[in-house]
Amino acid sequence: MKKLDRLDWAEGLTLSTFGVRAGVRVNVLGVLPRVLPLLPPGWKKSHRVIVERLYSLVVAQGCERAGVRRLHLLYADSTRIARDAALNRVLATLETDLHRYTAEATSDMTFLHAGVVGWQGSAIMFPGPSLSGKTTLVREMLRLGATYYSDEFAVVDSSGLVHPFARPLGIREDSSYAQTKYSAEELGATSGVKPLPMGMAVICKYEAGARWQPAPLSQGQGALELLTNSVAVRSQPDQTLRRLQKLVRHTIFIQGTRDEAHKAAASILNLSCAHK
Amino acid sequence: MKERQFPRARLNCLSREFGKEVLVYDLQRDVGHCLNSTAAATWKLCDGNNSPSQITRTLSRQLSARVDESVVRLALDLLANANLLVEPKVPVEYLSRRVAVRRIGIAAAIALPLVTSIVAPMPAQAASCLHNNQPCANSAMCCSGVCVPIVGRCLGG
Repeated sequence: MKKLDRLDWAEGLTLSTFGVRAGVRVNVLGVLPRVLPLLPPGWKKSHRVIVERLYSLVVAQGCERAGVRRLHLLYADSTRIARDAALNRVLATLETDLHRYTAEATSDMTFLHAGVVGWQGSAIMFPGPSLSGKTTLVREMLRLGATYYSDEFAVVDSSGLVHPFARPLGIREDSSYAQTKYSAEELGATSGVKPLPMGMAVICKYEAGARWQPAPLSQGQGALELLTNSVAVRSQPDQTLRRLQKLVRHTIFIQGTRDEAHKAAASILNLSCAHK
Repeated sequence: MKERQFPRARLNCLSREFGKEVLVYDLQRDVGHCLNSTAAATWKLCDGNNSPSQITRTLSRQLSARVDESVVRLALDLLANANLLVEPKVPVEYLSRRVAVRRIGIAAAIALPLVTSIVAPMPAQAASCLHNNQPCANSAMCCSGVCVPIVGRCLGG
């Protein structure tokens, strides 16, 4: 860390997000504005000097020469977490790591890996791992008039309400894994502002040609599914269980295999209306 | 022999009720379990003072239904397999689910006990992972679970 500290840092900032303080510093002027859109939604500038995690972005300078690759480096505290010639890929790692660290370190909220939309005053949640089609389903729900809450994390407070984590949706538009970012507004939807009680949780996976025939899931089994997607359950098991208990009080759980997202999305909204 | 005759629930677990089911989190193994109503009721009676037949009688009273001891033995088997009971020093003679169902018959008055378990995720597993060719520092960051150290990129996923 001392070696890193000795470098010339051009600019930096301290941020506070969900009670977690982190810092970002860069060695080249003008790079920080590229970092700001990647910070967790709702972040605020902090004036505290001491942070829980410090990111140091060393941007490669100078011209490329034959046989010499200029690599950008990213450190989280003293651990190097990225080394790449493309700055955008290093910035993507910064975003992923910072969001994940916030989700893990905060005790103000419990983070579940899930997509969330708001619909008629309650939240519909799609817990699931990466590549399970959360964003695709969220995007379809937005097309049908739902309010955007998150395509990555459901943020649950101590009363069991779901808060927005409305970062731009990361949509994969081709077979590569690269994501293009779109805000909810760019997709013709609005982002949620106030916390909502959870009305429905949908556990589904994509399978080409599958018929969407969701089956109900008990509250306990549903809560276990949510536990599988809790970021900090190992470090905060008691708090996670307590919040899950409050979260699922009035929730119905359904599970199934879906084919095209638009068919499942319409059915989910209908089921949600019928439940009310 | 005492543990075998008088099953006792392990203490270092957290539990919360979700309707009639109970979610149990094993702090030692970082495993979550969902016990259905029958398994949960049996587990709550495992205080080291009740024998399986006493548990059966208490369950029958609590549920106002005739409970066969095979049901309780099956529940104890499932709970022991999930490491939710203090480990017996002498291996318990377990009852397989198939045998239990045959003995109990299909017209049981209460639901057959069921314990569903999951391993609690590491923080990296419960968040979006890095995909093919994205820079990484360790394999846990990659969806594929493979970070090639020389190039510092995820391979596949």
